[in-house]
Amino acid sequence: MFEKLIDNSMEKSPWIFHINAGSCNGCDIELVSVLTPRYDAERLGFKLTGTPRQADIVVVSGPITVQTRDRLVRTLAQVPEPRVVVSLGSCPRSGNVFKGSYAIDGPLEKYTHVDVSVGGCTPKPEAIMAALVQAAQILAEKRKEMRK
Amino acid sequence: MNELLLNLFYVLVFPGLLFCILMGVLLAGLDRVWVARMQRRVGPPLLQPWYDFLKCCGKETIVPRHAKKAVYFAAPVIGFVALMTISLFLPVVKGRAAFSGTADLVVILYLLTLVSVCMMVGASATGSPFAGVGLSREMVAMISYELPFVLVILAVSRVTLSTDAVTGLPLTFSLQAIMEYQEANGPLITHWSLIPAAIAMLFVIPCEVGMHPFDVSEAETEICEGTLAEYSGPPLAVYKLTHMVKMYIMTALFCVLFLGGLSTGILFFDVVIFILVCALLTFITMSLPHAVCARFKTEQVFKFYWTVVAGFAAVSLILVWLGL
Repeated sequence: MFEKLIDNSMEKSPWIFHINAGSCNGCDIELVSVLTPRYDAERLGFKLTGTPRQADIVVVSGPITVQTRDRLVRTLAQVPEPRVVVSLGSCPRSGNVFKGSYAIDGPLEKYTHVDVSVGGCTPKPEAIMAALVQAAQILAEKRKEMRK
Repeated sequence: MNELLLNLFYVLVFPGLLFCILMGVLLAGLDRVWVARMQRRVGPPLLQPWYDFLKCCGKETIVPRHAKKAVYFAAPVIGFVALMTISLFLPVVKGRAAFSGTADLVVILYLLTLVSVCMMVGASATGSPFAGVGLSREMVAMISYELPFVLVILAVSRVTLSTDAVTGLPLTFSLQAIMEYQEANGPLITHWSLIPAAIAMLFVIPCEVGMHPFDVSEAETEICEGTLAEYSGPPLAVYKLTHMVKMYIMTALFCVLFLGGLSTGILFFDVVIFILVCALLTFITMSLPHAVCARFKTEQVFKFYWTVVAGFAAVSLILVWLGL
């Protein structure tokens, strides 16, 4: 019974950790607008945490610069299972306008499994919200699989 | 046999474990909803802290390589048990505590300190530099609120004017004696000389709980949750639960010290009124400052508590000892 309660609450309380891997700050501002009163993601239980140890959903923005690559890999390794990785904006997927630069080493798929991906430069807050809700559902499914 | 069952009931159900957790979840949920409403948000559901707790239970626990494993796991549990013990000393309903002694106020003071100390020990066992900064800040916060808190307790213990059975001093640290005094002479908040002490106690509550404007040790954006930086999974869930229950314990302590002795005569109404008063105190002392203020710096917390709040408490203490 207790396990079932945990399964149910997994979807209702996903905590977000945001990694900026060389982003131009555009996506970061849109993510903040999702969490602040205008779109208020807290009504669905989302909360921004300060440490990867407590995170359930990791949101990565930016084209993975060479400088941030090692930190990104280390930070992702610190997130406990079950976890969901969301790539925010076009940069982590394709490199966007930075594609071909000597300073970037993307895409994000090279380092981790990406569960949800939001396109756009920058994506709209509504799109980010939809992606986060989907990520929370995937989180609950992963928990159920982990238990089996 | 009967007495054993009754004691088990005290520890596990009514003033103890179950009631504490229910009240903690309720107050924490109300706090989050109120803060959201004051910021013109919809806010999370009332049971959000409970979902958070369950979710943390279902996560993997990663123990850092340099951590002392035994301390890492024991610290949150000991802290939680210490906090739970306090609830047994609080005479919340009908003026009777589950267990009472001659100096239970001193015991409560020490147990509250033990909760913070356990948090610090757990943080230092993780070996994280963020936790190190967090624990040093927690220590400063503790020194800040402890002085006004002790002054308030000294003022309250003097006002009943009954002589302590053990020490022979003209002050009592027994909550039972304080409750009996309040039943005879009305709540202590109606004594004009104790009103500054009540105000000081209202300020002590949020800092003791570690709520937003005073949460220097858990500043999530600055030092990665500080003392909780390396905690994940079930130990984190216990810490979150401790935080919630502390909200209830501190508001209940205020009720007992300053608003005790009032009774409608019917147990059910007494409990309902007690819960409502706890919720009101949560709103005044925790939600309102959370929504209004930005986080203080560590030095500001220290300065504020040792000048303004300790000043209030000291005024009350002097008035009470002058016999006013």
